[in-house]
Amino acid sequence: MHSAVQRANTVATIAAILLATICAAASFLDAFNSPSLQAHVQVVKINRFRRQLDGNDEVKMTLKMSMDLTSLFTWNTKQVFVFLAAEYETDTNSLNQVSLWDHIVQEKERASFQVKVPTKYPLIDQGTNLRGKKVGLVLHWHIMPISGRMIQGKMPLSNFSLPDSYTTRS
Amino acid sequence: MDWQGQKHAEMLMQIFLVFSAVAAFGAGYLMRDFRLMMLIYAGGVVLTALVTVPNWPYFNRHPLKWLDPSEAEKHPKPQVSNITSSSSSKKKASKNK
Repeated sequence: MHSAVQRANTVATIAAILLATICAAASFLDAFNSPSLQAHVQVVKINRFRRQLDGNDEVKMTLKMSMDLTSLFTWNTKQVFVFLAAEYETDTNSLNQVSLWDHIVQEKERASFQVKVPTKYPLIDQGTNLRGKKVGLVLHWHIMPISGRMIQGKMPLSNFSLPDSYTTRS
Repeated sequence: MDWQGQKHAEMLMQIFLVFSAVAAFGAGYLMRDFRLMMLIYAGGVVLTALVTVPNWPYFNRHPLKWLDPSEAEKHPKPQVSNITSSSSSKKKASKNK
């Protein structure tokens, strides 16, 4: 505390420690946020269901989705990454999870929406197990905070069954 | 700054910074705005630096009482008695090292 430079150093150090403290406090309070979101998804139609040249099944479909993610946002949220995964079981894998569609929501005001879209990514199997398969759709989300660790969550939505045979392009 | 001033400056610094942090967090939490918290805290830190770092006259209210020059002449600083022998002993000490 003898010279101005030493005092400036002390101010900077204490300011940095307190900054870490308030960011940690903001992140800690996030744990008390219990989100209650609603979502609904429906497979409108199967656009294409074929076997690829290298031997794997591939499905492209159109989905109609509506969701309300506003309760996931707190004052410490930077963005929410949400994706829809198709989950099913095969003989070789007890759980297959394939992402069909994802979206990044950066503002709370835009967190409630309805879309009717073709799947961003096709459902490609490791093999040829998809004919007649019962597939569950699960909505996953990653909440990315401004300070703190990422919070993950998921919610199972409706199921659907794939056709028993490959379809031609419709 | 004198000793009293330094102690005062340090106390003011800690109070200002903690108050800035608490006020920033409270405002940010109530207004649900993280950016607001950062702005208030940055403002508080700058204010603290302006108040405590420079050598304001307020921190020099209790100046140190240095010895008067006329008094100092009456009590001369003690001289080293044997200069040549002490310097040679110093040389021996450095050789041993």
